[in-house]
Amino acid sequence: MGSPCELLVETDSGALAQRLAAYARDEANRVDRKYSRYRPDSVISALNGARGKRRRVDEETARLIEYGAALWRMSEGRFDLTSGVLRQAWNFDEGPVRADPARIPALLARIGWQRVTWEPPFLTLPEGIEIDLGGIGKEYAVDRVADFAAAHTDAPVLVNFGGDLRCTGTPPTNRAWLVGIESLTRAGEAARRIELATGALATSGDTKRHVVIDGVRYGHIFDARTGWPAPDAPRSVTVAADTCSQAGSYSTLAMLRGAGAESFLDAEGISYWILR
Amino acid sequence: MQLKKPIGGSLAAATCGLLGALPAAPVVAQEAPRWEIDSSLLYYGEDGERVTDVSLMVSARRAFDEDRALDLTLTVDSLTGATPSGAVPASTVQTFTTPSGKDSYTVAAGDAPLDDSFLDTRVALSAHWRAPLGESMRWSAGFSASSEYDYLHLGVDGRLERDFNLKNTTAYVGVAYSQDDMDPVGGAPIPLAPMREVGNLSSKAGNDSKDLTDVLVGVTQVLSRRSLLEVSYSYGSSDGYLNDPYKFLSVVDPVSGAPVPGPAGSGLDLYVYESRPDSRTKQSLFAEWRHAFDRDSMAVNFRYMTDDWGIESATVEARYRWNISDRSWLEPQLRWYTQDAADFYRTVLFEGEALPRHASADYRLADLDAWTVGAKYGHRTDHGEFSVRLGYYRQEADATAGVAVGDLAGFDLVPPLTAVIVQFGYKFQL
Repeated sequence: MGSPCELLVETDSGALAQRLAAYARDEANRVDRKYSRYRPDSVISALNGARGKRRRVDEETARLIEYGAALWRMSEGRFDLTSGVLRQAWNFDEGPVRADPARIPALLARIGWQRVTWEPPFLTLPEGIEIDLGGIGKEYAVDRVADFAAAHTDAPVLVNFGGDLRCTGTPPTNRAWLVGIESLTRAGEAARRIELATGALATSGDTKRHVVIDGVRYGHIFDARTGWPAPDAPRSVTVAADTCSQAGSYSTLAMLRGAGAESFLDAEGISYWILR
Repeated sequence: MQLKKPIGGSLAAATCGLLGALPAAPVVAQEAPRWEIDSSLLYYGEDGERVTDVSLMVSARRAFDEDRALDLTLTVDSLTGATPSGAVPASTVQTFTTPSGKDSYTVAAGDAPLDDSFLDTRVALSAHWRAPLGESMRWSAGFSASSEYDYLHLGVDGRLERDFNLKNTTAYVGVAYSQDDMDPVGGAPIPLAPMREVGNLSSKAGNDSKDLTDVLVGVTQVLSRRSLLEVSYSYGSSDGYLNDPYKFLSVVDPVSGAPVPGPAGSGLDLYVYESRPDSRTKQSLFAEWRHAFDRDSMAVNFRYMTDDWGIESATVEARYRWNISDRSWLEPQLRWYTQDAADFYRTVLFEGEALPRHASADYRLADLDAWTVGAKYGHRTDHGEFSVRLGYYRQEADATAGVAVGDLAGFDLVPPLTAVIVQFGYKFQL
């Protein structure tokens, strides 16, 4: 998952804790392996290497693609499963962060879900267009583990994959899990503290990954229509929702609204915390 | 834009398709309260028109995250009533000069001499900050200040904690320093100087001060999933003017036990202001065991203290918290205290004996035992938790050995003290 993953369970049963932890570890690894764009044997690599050919995808992959397609529609194209190629202009992955905005126009020609033929379970990616499920895979894995935990125990469980998290079961002894939203200026310190009794929290933000060009700070969530982060996007958006997938989608879509993040989330009538 | 309408429904449908189903319970999340406020109003009333204290305390904690918090406490005390002056009863009317030296009062034959000019308002403030220091350490530091019309206290303190053994063991060390300035009404009495008549301040000498240093080391050990033991040792040292400026001793005839005449022309009997050493070192050992049962919990603690004034004391305290329901609890409390007298404690001084270097008739330095019996009831509502505590305090001193001569044999030289305590508390979050 590329970030610290933890599972907290409040129980007297060591066996239960072991079982849940083992499932969490295995599921995180499985989802990561299956959808990693770095692994040549992943489903993603196979699809991206199809050179314009129509491919049948397995049922789970179809569900994830369908979800990504729904987000594309809901975001009016801001969120796009094919926007991963923007990494060639914005490199946040390793080494010093660098940006090469001159490459954006050429890359935009390789982005656009409307160019993809998706007839479930068949996917046809035109040559040059790549798909990446990185934007939804982590939250999906959290939900998978949380659903497993909920099916096996009523004990309080918190699944936390790199700050995207969901809890299940009865509330913990303290009535709620206390979750800190990391401060923008003081690493490791909480700017806000959220009490989560049931449901999920997900955070999108640029505190870890950003680049500054001519004094303007750019995050790593790009509007697929422009190739740039939305202007005046918040530094950090945390959203509470029933599932981690919903919370993560809301927070990403809010980032893509830029200056309009608050009004977007207000219209949804959900609980959120924005740091600017 | 054509899509201004909420996406919640579409997103829920898409998520249902992704995960197969949505969880039965909807999200419950809210920002944690930033402030925890704890407030209480305490009434403490001693019998026989002695001290009454009404005390209002408000403390506020602002938590920034798990380990980082700011604590602020404000206490306002209003003390009224009379306190024993140290003099003993006599079979004649006794006349005393008030501390200010501007007035005098009389005490009827046989009555315990009380100084009823005792009236004060005390305001105390403290602030502390605690924060982590790396993975397994925490520090805290703060200051305290309190002010009365004749007293100013300023203090600083710091503490360092470290976890060991998977957080099952926590060791701590603390240091506190304070400087207290006294400006007693009428001036600080010169030790062992006689009480003078109204208008004569020759036994008084302005203001004075003392400083106190305390060092604390301790360890908290998790014994089991339900039990915790805390043991600590503290060393305290104070230097300076350690007398109570309003306390004095009667000088009596060694045979009749009656007061003897004071300074010529004063018209008073002989009373001398107390004289304590100008330094004191204390050591104390404290242990507390806390245990959680399935529903209830209890705590028992013991403290042993000894100092170089010859006082040795022991305190045993026990609390049992009975959780009546999810929202209500009742906590009976029991405390027993015993101490030996200070080496220089004297109920009276006898005429003709060489004046000791140090002497005090302050009953708080006598050989005494005290009990507190009480109970606290608490109830939690959706908005906060309120509590009521009722307590009964009884203190008895044994101060007659060797002094029950003549008239004194017929008097209760240090009468027992009883007090009631009523405290209302309310805790809430903001």
